[in-house]
Amino acid sequence: MLLDVRNVSKIYGTSCDQCLSLTGVEHDRAICPECGSVVAVNSISLSARKNEILGIVGESGSGKSTLLQLIYQDIRASSGEIFFQGVTDKNGQPSNILHEPPSAVSRLRSKEMSMIYQNPRLGLNFLFSAGGNIAERIIGAGERRYDEIRSNALDYIRRIEMETSRIDDYPEEFSGGQQQRIQIAKALSSSPQLLLLDEPTTGLDVSVQAKILDLIKELQQDMGFSMIIVSHDLGVINHLTDITVVMKHGTLVEYGLTDQILEDPQHPYTQLLVSSIL
Amino acid sequence: MSDHGFAFLDGDAKKEIRRALLKAVALPGYIVPFASREMPVARGWGTGGLQITLSIILEQDVLKVIDQGCDGSVNAINIRNFITSVTKVMTTSKTSRASIIQTRHRIPEHELRENQVLVFQVPYPEVLTTVEPDTAQQKQMHADGDYSKLWVLLYEDTSQYGDSRISNRYPVQVNNHFVMDPSPIPKYDIPRMDNCPALQLFGAGREKRMYAIPPYTTVKPLKFDDREFKIEVFPGVCCERCGARDVFFDEVRLGSDRRYFCSDTEFCDKNMEKNDAA
Ligand SMILES: Nc1ncnc2c1ncn2[C@@H]1O[C@H](COP(=O)(O)OP(=O)(O)OP(=O)(O)O)[C@@H](O)[C@H]1O
Ligand SMILES: [Mg+2]
Ligand SMILES: [Zn+2]
Repeated sequence: MLLDVRNVSKIYGTSCDQCLSLTGVEHDRAICPECGSVVAVNSISLSARKNEILGIVGESGSGKSTLLQLIYQDIRASSGEIFFQGVTDKNGQPSNILHEPPSAVSRLRSKEMSMIYQNPRLGLNFLFSAGGNIAERIIGAGERRYDEIRSNALDYIRRIEMETSRIDDYPEEFSGGQQQRIQIAKALSSSPQLLLLDEPTTGLDVSVQAKILDLIKELQQDMGFSMIIVSHDLGVINHLTDITVVMKHGTLVEYGLTDQILEDPQHPYTQLLVSSIL
Repeated sequence: MSDHGFAFLDGDAKKEIRRALLKAVALPGYIVPFASREMPVARGWGTGGLQITLSIILEQDVLKVIDQGCDGSVNAINIRNFITSVTKVMTTSKTSRASIIQTRHRIPEHELRENQVLVFQVPYPEVLTTVEPDTAQQKQMHADGDYSKLWVLLYEDTSQYGDSRISNRYPVQVNNHFVMDPSPIPKYDIPRMDNCPALQLFGAGREKRMYAIPPYTTVKPLKFDDREFKIEVFPGVCCERCGARDVFFDEVRLGSDRRYFCSDTEFCDKNMEKNDAA
């Protein structure tokens, strides 16, 4: 197992001991009636194997972005455990990354996991060139030879099907779709084991969206990393993923093979989702 | 309390600054805040270095003050006069004879020895300001040893200009740990900080910050493993006054003429005496 998320929750607000039990899909709410806290993610467990592609779907506010941020350690979980392959204690036993020292977490974030955000401003440093952005990640993973950094950056510019002559241009000078491609190049340049994508194509033209999704799929097959992609779009989930996670009000509604879930959804909420697009 | 009244600062101020100095020496290159006092010199004119000098100076010390290598510049004279007026210590222009050398923007040419203290006047203590404006973020980056943004600047300069464009304030890594701003000394002086027998102290009065390099500490400029660190060179140039070669020169333009003189005036004087004797 590459990633193992166990019973992870995130509560925004003061929180009380009833928050988790009084919210979620079965209560049809994410706000605790006792204390008014927002339970953004409620007791979620899921896992990802090597090479596997997971999709997370759910309506706006259901906790999809929060869950990705919890995995990437952008924010800290209120409770639960997260295990990542290779992160072990001194006895070689898997160690909850929520209890690991900052240095271990920082290594995970700079090398083993990468995040691609919907807004390129979150994923790219607009003060650095395209190549500089990619270099930042290569350097963060420990490389200190200029020629190696430069040729790797050029290689990733090629892989995202961009003219290498544009390597020293700045993010402002690129279109939205190109900025997303540069984010992808940057994210992959540390050869991560897990790529997290939060609606990477929302807001782009449909034709551009399709090309970027194809590119992501190709790169995933080439490089063999695992992926968790958040999307509103069941078409994207169908096209890209092996496993689907359906979320509502912070809880996990359905979790299983994408083919099965789309063909034979079990939960009424998923049935509604699927029927509305097919 | 024998200190009271000696060297302008009161006992409490000295105690506080010395405590900060001890911390700075214990954590080479780490920035330590201190309560910068009002000085009878305008802030930005060496008040940080001045407070350090006044808090460590003893009656038996021999003081040298230079501004860009020159003992005779107005700023150096003002600071020297102020310190002698409140301490009555002996002063000298001879580097070898001084026990405390307060300096702005240069390290003397004459090799420093043990039991000497070099006090730098620092305008901008935080090396990360150019790449990260947020101070909390800067602290985190120092804590994580995450200097990848500085490396990206170096990458971008190397890609676009063939080498780093930084001419002074070149970032250095101290004791293989913290990266710090060496103050606006030329690159020529950077290798001379490495493994220096003298204690190097840095004070920024306006910014209320200090840091230190203990004697015999490793100081390395940030550079790629496969690139050379290039200092200023003056091919074929010798000092018009004393004839010295291979030192750091001041360039004086007279019309279309360029003329060169030793930047370190005491070194130049000593060289002339030698020439006269021969
Ligand atoms: N920093 C925060 N403080 C308080 N509440 C927050 C914060 N961040 C998110 N939330 C709340 O947590 C819940 C889940 O938000 P999240 O952004 O994870 O949803 P999402 O599924 O990604 O939605 P969308 O599809 O609109 O992106 C929402 O109710 C949101 O308002
Ligand atoms: Mg979201
Ligand atoms: Zn509650």
